[in-house]
Amino acid sequence: MTNACGVGTGEVLRALQAGASGLRRNDFEPTASLATWIGRVDAVDASRLPEAFAAYDCRNNRLAQLALEQNGFMAAVRRAVQTHGADRVGVFLGTTTSGILATELAYRAIARNEARSGDVLSPELYRCRHSLFATTEFVREYLRLTGPAATISTACSSSAKVFAMASRAIAAGDCDAAVVGGVDSLAMSTLFGFHSLELLSRHPCRPCAVDRDGISIGEAAGFALLDPRAEAAVRFAGAGESSDAYHMSSPHPEGAGAARAMREALDNAQLAARDIDYINLHGTASRPNDAAEDRAIFSVFGAVTKVSSTKGWTGHTLGAAGIMGALIGELSLRQQWLPGTQNCERVDPVLACAVVLHSRPERLRRVLCNAFGFGGTNCSLVLEHTP
Amino acid sequence: MTPLAIAGIGVCATGMANWMQAQSVLQSAVLPSLDPLPRLAADCLPPVERRRANATARLAISAAMQAIQGMPPEDVARLATVFSSSDGDGEVLANMLAALAQPQVVLSPTLFHNSVFNAPAGYWSIGSQSRAASITVSAGASSFVAGLKEALGQVLATGSAVLYVAYDAPFPVALESFACSAEPFACALHLTPVAESRVDGYGRVEALRTDPDRRKHDPPPLLGLRHRFSGNAAADALPLLQAIAHRRRSEVAFPYLDGSLLWLDYLP
Repeated sequence: MTNACGVGTGEVLRALQAGASGLRRNDFEPTASLATWIGRVDAVDASRLPEAFAAYDCRNNRLAQLALEQNGFMAAVRRAVQTHGADRVGVFLGTTTSGILATELAYRAIARNEARSGDVLSPELYRCRHSLFATTEFVREYLRLTGPAATISTACSSSAKVFAMASRAIAAGDCDAAVVGGVDSLAMSTLFGFHSLELLSRHPCRPCAVDRDGISIGEAAGFALLDPRAEAAVRFAGAGESSDAYHMSSPHPEGAGAARAMREALDNAQLAARDIDYINLHGTASRPNDAAEDRAIFSVFGAVTKVSSTKGWTGHTLGAAGIMGALIGELSLRQQWLPGTQNCERVDPVLACAVVLHSRPERLRRVLCNAFGFGGTNCSLVLEHTP
Repeated sequence: MTPLAIAGIGVCATGMANWMQAQSVLQSAVLPSLDPLPRLAADCLPPVERRRANATARLAISAAMQAIQGMPPEDVARLATVFSSSDGDGEVLANMLAALAQPQVVLSPTLFHNSVFNAPAGYWSIGSQSRAASITVSAGASSFVAGLKEALGQVLATGSAVLYVAYDAPFPVALESFACSAEPFACALHLTPVAESRVDGYGRVEALRTDPDRRKHDPPPLLGLRHRFSGNAAADALPLLQAIAHRRRSEVAFPYLDGSLLWLDYLP
């Protein structure tokens, strides 16, 4: 896991436990005119892909590589390959914009007469860096996997849905194990896009807070290895997916679709609401989104289940938000600890759920993670600590 | 393997505005001339969404609407969907890139929300009032079969029907260096467990396999039709559609990753 709080799970955990947000004033040059805060990963700027992957070298793929190289993930994939064979390990990754920044910068250079269209826009730029499949293709080749692969792009639920799709691929016998994850890096289209919708906060985002006024965009990459035959401290227990059928960029005000995703996740994991000890919120800090999610949770769980949003540390990492929620949930279960809600000083009294403000040790057996997105797409995941 | 039924079908492409027209093209001995598509109505959408949905979403929705024709709305509202596309919406992309290259960036909110890859699926769920699961996938040039795999897998896993919609739309001239599709092509398949299928369905398919069984018939050649839609990943549906148009038992091959092929048995 790599995000604005750090490169690798250790750094992220320390930031979460210390209450140190990774957000900073927007200093991402192509969008510097926007007065907002961002979750930027500095290490990306200094990194380069190996020579063999030169065609794939862009911000999104560098961010993917940084995360792949952390926490023994490469070795875990190698072990899975030894057990199952490279052709039996799938790759399912979520992203919203992949490496679109490469094309955005090329377009800007053309507009400024710094480059000629024919020199900078090429099939290789599109296929290896910009296209939605680019990062999945890069990761698959970097890990030397030859099993099935797909990019899931359902806005901000993308990298939660990867768990559902990979589980189906394993159940169908399409592969025996799968690398799942999400990668989204800072881009002009997302920052200016959320600005156009007046959704960006001028401050570090304050999820669930009475004075919350919008989101902070972050970048992140995270990966997990799903292997039904491997032993692990935490297992993926189920997923629920639904649609709002309401609006392209606003959530259903009562959170009807979100509630349905959570119920289906519980059903899929064969659990009841009381079996969930903690919910990692989608919690973007947009006023309507946090309110709708609160209503949805209240309708399924009542007001007792502890909830928190970690977006105040990382920002909203869009297509990587699902995997960030899942990996922070996994960390919570392994550490028997739950994160608070960074930057939230006073919980909005309108919210009915039990919002946890400060990180603390807690006995946890199962957590649920939410990820919702544009187009009214919802996905909830259940993770379980194995005794 | 468990066979699945094709209960409904839709096609929307240059020269093939619907399944009727597609059948006659697919059954013809010589490749006929293909007329450009008219502006698509997408009249299942409420007025606001109909105004906002752009050509690519309309293309996907037009194919989807055909595939569920005659179904009661309450059944459509329960239908899970799988969408696939290699490249999404090139027109929205080009407009957004042009706006972002200006010294003063002004982006329209509608342009931005239309830029999410799952925009056609989002519009579809609003139009069909379906709160069921929906996923949108891409696997580059292999997007059609990657989505088909997921759709078949969902029917087998849940025992419920799935609407599979594959689409790729033309990229504008400004992005022609990307060598994406020049012609629109969308195809929709309403896939159901066999027990639920209607008698007047479109035949059955079995789960995708990696190994060919050479004893079966190969589909007949495609009269240069696939070439006409070169660069359009969704047009990988053509050999399957051709087998259905001929109601001919076939073993259909789809190009997959690393130059491999996946095989699907079609039984009329």
